[in-house]
Amino acid sequence: MAHRRAAVVALTILALALPFLFAGNRFYAFILGITYLYILWSSGMNLLSGFTGLMPLMYAGLAGIGAYTTVNLVMKASVSFWLAMPVGALAAAVVGVVLGLPSLRLRGFYFTLSGLVIQTALTMLFVYVPQFTAGDTGISQIPPPSIPLPGRTFPLTGVWLEETLAVAAVLTVYLVRWITRSTLGTYLVAIREDDLLTEALGIDVVRNRVLAFFISSLIAGVGGAFYAHYMGFVSPRSFDVLTSLNTWLIVGFGGQGTILGPIVGTLILAPIPYLLQELYLYKDIIYGGLIVFTTIFLPRGVYGSFLFYRRTRAAARAAASPKPEVARS
Amino acid sequence: MTKLLETRGLNKSFGGVSALKDLSIHQDMGETLGMIGPNGSGKTTFINAVTGHLTLDGGEVSLEGKVIRGKRPHAIAQAGLERTYQAVRVYAQLPVAENLRVAALPHYRRLGYSNPLDGVDVLLAKLGLKPKKETVAGSLTLFEQRRLELAMRLISRPKLIMLDEPVGGLNPTEIREMIQLLKDLRTECGLFVIEHTMKVIMELADRVVVLVSGEMIANGAPVAILQDANVIRHYLGSIRVTSR
Repeated sequence: MAHRRAAVVALTILALALPFLFAGNRFYAFILGITYLYILWSSGMNLLSGFTGLMPLMYAGLAGIGAYTTVNLVMKASVSFWLAMPVGALAAAVVGVVLGLPSLRLRGFYFTLSGLVIQTALTMLFVYVPQFTAGDTGISQIPPPSIPLPGRTFPLTGVWLEETLAVAAVLTVYLVRWITRSTLGTYLVAIREDDLLTEALGIDVVRNRVLAFFISSLIAGVGGAFYAHYMGFVSPRSFDVLTSLNTWLIVGFGGQGTILGPIVGTLILAPIPYLLQELYLYKDIIYGGLIVFTTIFLPRGVYGSFLFYRRTRAAARAAASPKPEVARS
Repeated sequence: MTKLLETRGLNKSFGGVSALKDLSIHQDMGETLGMIGPNGSGKTTFINAVTGHLTLDGGEVSLEGKVIRGKRPHAIAQAGLERTYQAVRVYAQLPVAENLRVAALPHYRRLGYSNPLDGVDVLLAKLGLKPKKETVAGSLTLFEQRRLELAMRLISRPKLIMLDEPVGGLNPTEIREMIQLLKDLRTECGLFVIEHTMKVIMELADRVVVLVSGEMIANGAPVAILQDANVIRHYLGSIRVTSR
């Protein structure tokens, strides 16, 4: 497993170094920033949709709660971003837990449907409380976060803002990876596979589901706060059902229930709308075609299918091997 | 003496249909209790109600003298009362070892182990599943899945396992093996067995309870039950009638 650890370290260093490599071109740097945001968001959603088997269609709405809470605290109460962001994330997490309560009763399709309703209600809420959201006009000129240094403040602009997003994305991926390898992660997979059996074995399904909702919504909120302060502009459209669906698409495209899946999905899907701007006539066709192709030929997602292929090949080799005990470490 | 399991006046109805009627059943320590009855007589409902999967309309349930009624299923499992399902239930996508790890995780600290998989090899060897440790549970045979299901309960050292038709779908050879397996387990934990296969009940149970329409119509030693006129009319006889 030494080479695997080396690969993880190399990937981390690459992720943290990329902003500097793209620093010369604002356009590419911006796409990179968006990519980091979606890595963060999709990894957080994956915890619910991939590992726990619940599709949270209200994910963008929760991100919106995190974003609006943070923006209001920063712009109206002059709170530092670094204090406001955790508050916003916590608000998103609490709302996420409350709105996740239907999942204790609803399964599969019906939960997804309830998520759609909740998402729609949240979007309406953002439109109808203009004192906090400026309604459909949106809030513009949101300042970038800054780091208070002794004597002065250092605003995170340009490459430093992308680097901040890179750090946030890397930390989120590590957090999700750590969770999936913990007892909680094992329980979440068990709940996804068979919640009734899991409960019968002595595992508190309700508690673990609520925990998954809390963490996933927390990440949604963190992403929302960063999104607002990265784009400098938010409106209810930023956090509508399409954003939820896009995030989910990324997770499914890369591979649900895998750590690298959302990253692979983001790297392929997030930059496309920007990179293909010149081909605006065909952009959506290419995007849609890619998704159709993946759904048909790689139903487990790009990375998920790769893992599956590797596992079945290893199993076939183990079955053919005369010493099955040695086949696995 | 405290009973292993004791229910008093259990009542449960679905809409207007009452599935359990004032059911008072007890199981002594070290006793293997069997339960038989026609389809729809409330046997599975009884397990569901006792293990917290259903909320009762009335009645008391206690395990070793401690009230467990009203607790959620996971808490009842933690207290030492576990159940299996009529249709076998394992994590089909996960390997056998991972199935057992999930089953052990909520219990291993209480049992004084430092690793959830401590003792798993001994358990697998006892159930003849050792060569299958890394196999995905979904590709096991039904008999192997039934044994895995048992192993997933035994790893938590329960006081009582309620088995809902443990030999359902097994062939005669496998049934004989399963009976032997369960016989050996009787020294480790209490067994409560629902079965339609009388051979299992006859060989395994110390005492049998007969349920018809949610009511207990007979209660006694297996041999006596076989000769009970009521039981023959309501249950044993009905097999001959329906099979023509």
